[in-house]
Parts: sequence; structure tokens; C-alpha cells
Amino acid sequence: MSCIVEMKHVFKSFGAVEVLKDFNLQLTEGEKVVIIGPSGSGKSTVLRCINRLETIQAGTICFEGQEINDQSNLCALRTHIGMVFQRFNLFPHKTTLENIMEAPLIVKKMSPAEAEKIAVELLARVGLADKRDSYPRELSGGQQQRVAIARALAMNPKIMLFDEPTSALDPELVGEVLGVMKDLAREGMTMVVVTHEMAFAREVADRVIFMDQGIIMEEGTPAKIFEAPTQERTQIFLKRIRH
Amino acid sequence: MNLDYSVVFAKIPILLEGCWVTLQISFFALLLGMVFGIAGALCRISSNKVLNSGAFFYVWVIRGTPVMVQLFILYFGLPQLGIRLPSMVAGVLGLAINTGAYITEIIRAGIQAVDRGQMEAALSLGMSYRQAMRRIIGPQAVKFCIPPLVNQFIMTLKNSSIASLVTITELFRTGEQIIYTTFRSFEVYTAVAVFYLIMNSVFMVIADKLERRMARQ
Repeated sequence: MSCIVEMKHVFKSFGAVEVLKDFNLQLTEGEKVVIIGPSGSGKSTVLRCINRLETIQAGTICFEGQEINDQSNLCALRTHIGMVFQRFNLFPHKTTLENIMEAPLIVKKMSPAEAEKIAVELLARVGLADKRDSYPRELSGGQQQRVAIARALAMNPKIMLFDEPTSALDPELVGEVLGVMKDLAREGMTMVVVTHEMAFAREVADRVIFMDQGIIMEEGTPAKIFEAPTQERTQIFLKRIRH
Repeated sequence: MNLDYSVVFAKIPILLEGCWVTLQISFFALLLGMVFGIAGALCRISSNKVLNSGAFFYVWVIRGTPVMVQLFILYFGLPQLGIRLPSMVAGVLGLAINTGAYITEIIRAGIQAVDRGQMEAALSLGMSYRQAMRRIIGPQAVKFCIPPLVNQFIMTLKNSSIASLVTITELFRTGEQIIYTTFRSFEVYTAVAVFYLIMNSVFMVIADKLERRMARQ
């Protein structure tokens, strides 16, 4: 299995606040990694650095062996990296179908017929075939997030980043989104998921990473992290979220 | 009271000509002002320091000085430097530069009112900044811009009366000329006011319809 993303000695700060401190991470193709940790620990920043939504102060990030920096063709890079946001960020002035078709049409210059075919297939895959002409505001949060996943998949990415995809959802809607993500995992997609859904992590993750204060405190299989964490801070964090 | 509006009625064709000139000045000033405003707004949100501070300077100077002084500099001041602008050019350009500064701020605010996540989502799908602005941010910003833009358009149409001072015979100056020969200042000025009101009302109704349609979408 080849390495798809490699972060080496990455430093990232917002003003005086250091968010990532000498951060290192390697992702293998097909791997499903779940990142957990207290808020402010830098989990989301890791994802946002991978597709260069954030610039880093020091260190290197490689995607498929190519270092990404400000000189890179970021647009081309980002087409390979799908991202799903906590607050969905669907385009409110476009229908569900148009949301999914937009990037294939504009970025990949696909024909409308081709883009529509892909969009229709993806909508069916996330169980929303009947919502093709709805606007985002007419959908529930869970439906919106499923559309957002379909939108990211429309670019046929090699890796999917999920930034707390269920944190903004009502509890009864979390399941439908996680269901779509589990399907995706079964199909072999490389995934990095920042989440507080421990049951999901246990079921899907190959590796769980516990982050605190900008570094990886502890990592391992779900069984190891959840049943036998060695670090005190991991133990405290897990105890807190279980209550 | 010796009000006699028959004087005004007799002069309606001339006043309508004045309205036509007012509409022309306003139209071209707004058209050019929109160009200045869109360019100014894009510079204001740009990370390029030169563009950014250039646009800031433009807005700062124009908003901080009276439109009349700006017009006088263009029409009466520039000839001293050897630049002689025809009155119509000076009038339209002056009003455009003035309204452009306000439109810069309106559009900047409109763009910044769009949720940041929209740009991030667009970029994360591989769109360029330009594509994201045109396809995703722009259409959403328009909604925020329309009410203040309508205001600005109305202001510009009224400010066009100042063009009379650089010898453009628009509605206000037409009225003054009528007064020179008829001495009916009350009747003529109120008639001029009514014409401005009618022109702006037509515009307000159109803008209101547009806004309603946008809100439904």
C-alpha cells in the first residue's frame, strides 16, 4: 500500500496561537483514520492543511509524493481531495443536483449531460434521488450533509476528509450520515474523519489518533485507544466524552 | 397667494428634456460607478497590499469630500493643468467617481456577508478563486447588495442636480432657466421636485419588484 498523504514536522499557528507543533502524519491508500481530541487540539486544522485551505509556517506536506506548497497547482490538487464540512456549506442558490454538478462542470469542464448523469447516480447512492430539484434550505441537516458528501464525491477524489460531519446535526439525523460514510469506507475510500462519534470510530477506523495541544498524543487501533489507552490525557478525554 | 401653475404646464416639454438629460447623466454615472465599485470592492478584499490600499485611499478621499467640490475640481480645476473636459464628461465622470466609492463599500460588504464556508467549499472542490467568486460568492452577494444599491442609485439621481453647476442643462438647471424668464420660482421648483420624485419612484418600484423576486429564490 502506498503513502497518499505525508505530513512532516508541520508547524501552524494563528497569530500567536500555535495550533500544530511539529506535527507528523502518514496516510496509506485505503486507510480509514479517525482523529479525536478536545476542541482546540488542532484536529480540523490538520484536515485543512492537507488540502491547503490553511497555509503552514514550517514543515512539508506531500500528496502522492508531491510536495504541496504555494507554487503548486492547488486547484488540481484539491480535485483529488474531497472535503465535507461541519456546516455542510452547500451552495444555497443552487438545487441539490446543481450543487453536485457545479464542480464537474466548471472545474472538469464536463458536458452537462455527463455531469448530470454522475450527479443523479451519486444522489441515488446517498439515498436522495427524489430530492434532485430541492434547494438546500428545503432539506434536513442530515440530507444536506449527504448531498455535501455526494458533491465532494462528484470530483472522484482519491481521499475524503470529514471535518466533524455530524456535529451540527440533530441526534436522530446522525445515523443517516454515518451510514453513507460507512458505505464509502466499505468501498475502499481513503478517509480521514474528525469526529466525536466513538461507535463509528470503533466500527470503521483502521487507526484512531488522539490529538491534544497540536500534537498526536497517542494513536493505534480502535481497540487499543478505546480499551487500553496508555496516556493519561487520552484516558481523561475518553472518560469525559463517555459521560 | 398668487400661484399660477399654468406657467409650469406650458414648460412641460422643456422640463421633460431636462429629465431626459438627468436620466442620461445618472445612467452613465451609475454604469461607470458600478464598474468602479466592482473593481474597487475586488481590490478591497484582495490580499494584494497595493490594490487594497489603493482602493482604501479612493473610498477614503471620495467619501470624505463633498461631491460638489469633486465636480468643481474636474471641471474648473483641471483646465489649469491643461486638461479640459467637456461639461458632460466632467459631470458624468465626477458623479461616477463619487458613486463608485460608495458602491465599492456596498459590494465589499455584500461579498463579506457571504458565509466564509462558501468560499472554502468552492475551493475544496478545485475551483479557482475567480471561478468561486463568479459562480458561488457573486450570486449570493448580489442579494445583500440590492437594497443598499437601490439607495445609492437614488442618491446618484438626486446628486445629478449638482451637475447643473458645471453648466449641464439637466432638470434642475432647466428649471432655473425657466425661472429667469417667468419669475415663478415656487411653482417651477416644486414642479422640478415632482419630476425627481416621479423618476425615483419608477426606479423604486422596479427595484422593489426585483428585490421581491430575489427573496423568493
